[in-house]
Amino acid sequence: MEKIVLPDIKDLHKIEVYKANDGYTAINKALSQSPDDLIEQVKKSGLRGRGGAAFLAGLKWSFMPKTNDKPKYLCVNGDESEPGSFKDRQIFELNPHQLIEGTLITCYAIGAKTAYVYIRGEYHKWIKLFQDALDDAYEAGFVGEKMKETFNTDFACEIYIHKGAGAYICGEETSLMNSIEGQRGYPRVKPPFPAQNGLWGCPTTINNVETIANVPKIINKGWEWFSKIGEPKHPGTILFGISGHVNNPGVYELPSGTLLTDIIYKYAGGIPGDKKILCVIPGGSSMPPLRGDGIEGVKMDAESLKAAGSSIGTGGIIVMDEDTDLVKVLARIAKFYYHESCGQCTPCREGTSWLVRLLDRIGQGNGSSHDLDMLIDVASNIEGNTICALGEAAAWPVRFMVSRFRDYFEKRVKKEIVLPVKNKVHSMRDTAFPLDSP
Amino acid sequence: MSTFTLNDEEIEFKPGQTIIEAAKDNGTTIPHFCWHPKLSISGNCRVCLVELENIPKLVIACSTQATEGMVVYSESEKTLEARNAVMEFLLINHPLDCPICDEAGECKLQDYAYKHSIGESRYVEEKTHKDKRVQLGPRVMFDGDRCISCSLCIRFCDEIVGEPELTFIKRGNGVTISTFPGKQMENKYSLNTVDICPVGALTNTDFRFKTRVWDLSSNPSICTGCSRGCNIDVWVINNEIKRLTPSFNKEVNSYWMCDDGRLNTFKHVNAKDRVDGAHLRKDGQLIKVSWDEAFANASSELKNITNKEIAFIGSAFSTCEDNYLFTKFAKDVIGCKNIDFIRHTNPDFGDELLRQNDLTPNTMGAELTGVSPKQGGLNLDGIVQGIKSGKIKGLFIMEDDLLEAYPELEKSLPSLELLIVLSSNFNKTTAFADFVFPAATFAEKNGTFINFNGRVQRIKPAVETTDLDRSLDGMAMSRLDKFGTSFDRWAIGNKHDARASWKIISGLSVLFDKKLKYKMSENVFDDMSKSIDAFKGLDYDIIGKKGVLLKDKLNEVTQTV
Ligand SMILES: Cc1cc2nc3c(=O)[nH]c(=O)nc-3n(C[C@H](O)[C@H](O)[C@H](O)COP(=O)(O)O)c2cc1C
Ligand code: SF4
Ligand code: SF4
Ligand code: SF4
Repeated sequence: MEKIVLPDIKDLHKIEVYKANDGYTAINKALSQSPDDLIEQVKKSGLRGRGGAAFLAGLKWSFMPKTNDKPKYLCVNGDESEPGSFKDRQIFELNPHQLIEGTLITCYAIGAKTAYVYIRGEYHKWIKLFQDALDDAYEAGFVGEKMKETFNTDFACEIYIHKGAGAYICGEETSLMNSIEGQRGYPRVKPPFPAQNGLWGCPTTINNVETIANVPKIINKGWEWFSKIGEPKHPGTILFGISGHVNNPGVYELPSGTLLTDIIYKYAGGIPGDKKILCVIPGGSSMPPLRGDGIEGVKMDAESLKAAGSSIGTGGIIVMDEDTDLVKVLARIAKFYYHESCGQCTPCREGTSWLVRLLDRIGQGNGSSHDLDMLIDVASNIEGNTICALGEAAAWPVRFMVSRFRDYFEKRVKKEIVLPVKNKVHSMRDTAFPLDSP
Repeated sequence: MSTFTLNDEEIEFKPGQTIIEAAKDNGTTIPHFCWHPKLSISGNCRVCLVELENIPKLVIACSTQATEGMVVYSESEKTLEARNAVMEFLLINHPLDCPICDEAGECKLQDYAYKHSIGESRYVEEKTHKDKRVQLGPRVMFDGDRCISCSLCIRFCDEIVGEPELTFIKRGNGVTISTFPGKQMENKYSLNTVDICPVGALTNTDFRFKTRVWDLSSNPSICTGCSRGCNIDVWVINNEIKRLTPSFNKEVNSYWMCDDGRLNTFKHVNAKDRVDGAHLRKDGQLIKVSWDEAFANASSELKNITNKEIAFIGSAFSTCEDNYLFTKFAKDVIGCKNIDFIRHTNPDFGDELLRQNDLTPNTMGAELTGVSPKQGGLNLDGIVQGIKSGKIKGLFIMEDDLLEAYPELEKSLPSLELLIVLSSNFNKTTAFADFVFPAATFAEKNGTFINFNGRVQRIKPAVETTDLDRSLDGMAMSRLDKFGTSFDRWAIGNKHDARASWKIISGLSVLFDKKLKYKMSENVFDDMSKSIDAFKGLDYDIIGKKGVLLKDKLNEVTQTV
């Protein structure tokens, strides 16, 4: 199977190696076409966003106004802070030039002359690696004013890296824009949408790192080629980052629609100690968890996961074996969203604190069946009533985990499940990472 | 005109209006905390969630623009459920300390908890605690526990005053308000944040813990701090003013007033140095006498001085009615041409928002009612010179402190043969007066002021004098006023023996040939409107609650705040 974003080419992060593998030819090809043509191709390719919502990339680009009365911007979202999600950093490390080239093509297509690549603040290493690559690309004349000469065109584009300051919420697109502007990382009320009123009030497009990294290959190999990979409604490959109780956690680039069980057993090497799977979160910690006994035949693409009652999210798969303390897991997840809520709007600011306190109490053995109903109620009251989707991100895991594992939670509040003594969230510690190994 | 449907009723809207604005113009209030008509939209409280037909997710009415044919439900089951949910969230971490909270009684959260909440709490967990009693600046105190993070106070400083002083700090459930490091909230309008804060998170250090608000009466009036003439409410308990708050007037002050006006224009009403009853000097001492005795003595002394040797100083602090009779008395009764008033200005007081450099409420009124030298008469400078040189032997001052304004007169004032002062409080000038008549303050009389723009506005009494009766004179009554007995501690408040200046002048004039007899200030005004062009066609009803522009000002561009 061909890999699009992370091909197995040694030293591809080096600009010579990237060039030797058709690097920076797609931008050349793109510049000879009209922006509208490019948008059309990306639309037809069926490329969907890899940042969580799986929105059609070409369609999003087409929302950008055609007028030029204001500057336009592209933001490339590399905030990657969702627990269970760690795939964009592979691109920064292993194939940064493809991201740079994709950024240039996208800017040309939407009429932007400036792009900001927003990288999660904790990613010191990957910020450095990506900056090195960007410096090389500038040096080589692929970015900035020199582009005009290199590609014999009058289009030039600047790319800046903006370092986050350690807030998950700044991955939300409008919060990200506020952060770049130097404001508090508060999501904005929508509408207006970024395409009308984005960075500094100007038309702006925001895409995930992986989304953008797909673009050069689509231009070079054609939309038809891309549209035939994987599931037709969500074509291409997806970077699946798998973690939790699997033998070989890591990032696997696989065609969309790959079976979840294949990813777990074939690629990630199965469960340590051959334990049963209790729960799988398929798309990063904010997505609805699936029961381990219900993942047979579930395919990993937006439509199939929707049908299975979850969502592709960022493709971050979290696997939990039968010994996992789900109350603790859920409490930890809830705590994350509580901690990361920006605090701007009422349901999320207050509701996340309620969820955490309820779950902590249940975890201490002082919960009741009624508290489980409360969890679902409180989560439902957050959902749909907030400014940004962090509300849902906080509510979904709680609502779906409790309702889908009601039997488990009921037994826990009634103290009918005796947890193994060594049970931790990381129950696989001993098996997967023996503490005494060098 | 475009229309949309709100709760099965078709309502009109102007292009660009949001649902909440259109609803408001049509008399429907969609519940909200963080929305304010004069501030940007923050959309954070989520109380105004409404249902749109064919749209699964609720939208916020404060930011969603009305469109032709849109079908909106603000009372549907789904809307009510969401509103209940948001109210429940707002209350879970709230301290619910209404019994000791200053805001209780005028708290929007409290009101909404009754109106829009299920009425009971399901919350049994520990509450979040934040900082309490944080002095944000010299005049405003903050209680983090009570804050609902609506950001109104922040936006007020940023957008109305233009001085960003407040910000949110921390995040999530820990979010709280703070000033920027090393800074205080000390803008000249800081207390408006207390008014717009929907809860008791921001309190006025001058007012907090003084009283329960439901025990106060409030009467509309005008601030006397400068010539803007901000519309205000005067809040009274036990016949004492406890606070002033701005009241909305689109043409004058919008929703705001400045801190100086709010804090520094009413303390004299309750002050210990009030002139209580008529006074005359006997054996070097000012002693209280009956009004009749004071009038009789003052009139006979006035008659002893020729009209060339006497001067009249009116006041831009006094109403039009006061100044009108003052002028009439000087001109027609005494036949004196030496008449003027003191202008009080401060070039550093004014600003772009409300504050004016003219520190009096009624300069234009004093001018229009003729408080200026008649042909051949002395103006203020001439009068002051005349006092110094001894040419002026008698002086009649209404509601101003001449000596404060002209300290150099300290030596000459004692040598005057006659000094009559109408004043609400004893001051430097009254110390030399032969007669001190107790003038009612702005809070104890009816009358009109004309602001810098030429807008005539009415003041109404809020505090009783022996000359005024709360119920007979149509003043608002608090619960205590209505239901208390005269034995109650809060019903024995001070009533000063004072009268509106026009009334004092009227009483004095009775002892002269030409009598200026009026029953009420309204009659004085009616007379004015007959004899002064600028007031033609006006009466108290026409001036109404929001005031009117004088005719010759109508064509000038008005300044809308
Ligand atoms: C709370 C929150 C956090 C988010 N964090 C990220 C992130 O770290 N990276 C990302 O690409 N998208 C993130 N998103 C989604 C973005 O808002 C946006 O939809 C996405 O960047 C669009 O890119 P795409 O269309 O290419 O998927 C987040 C959304 C929310 C609500
Ligand atoms: S939903 Fe949460 S994170 Fe999003 S704006 Fe509201 S408080 Fe902030
Ligand atoms: S202090 Fe008051 S006005 Fe300011 S954010 Fe809190 S509740 Fe709103
Ligand atoms: S601006 Fe003038 S009138 Fe308004 S409150 Fe201040 S002092 Fe009073």
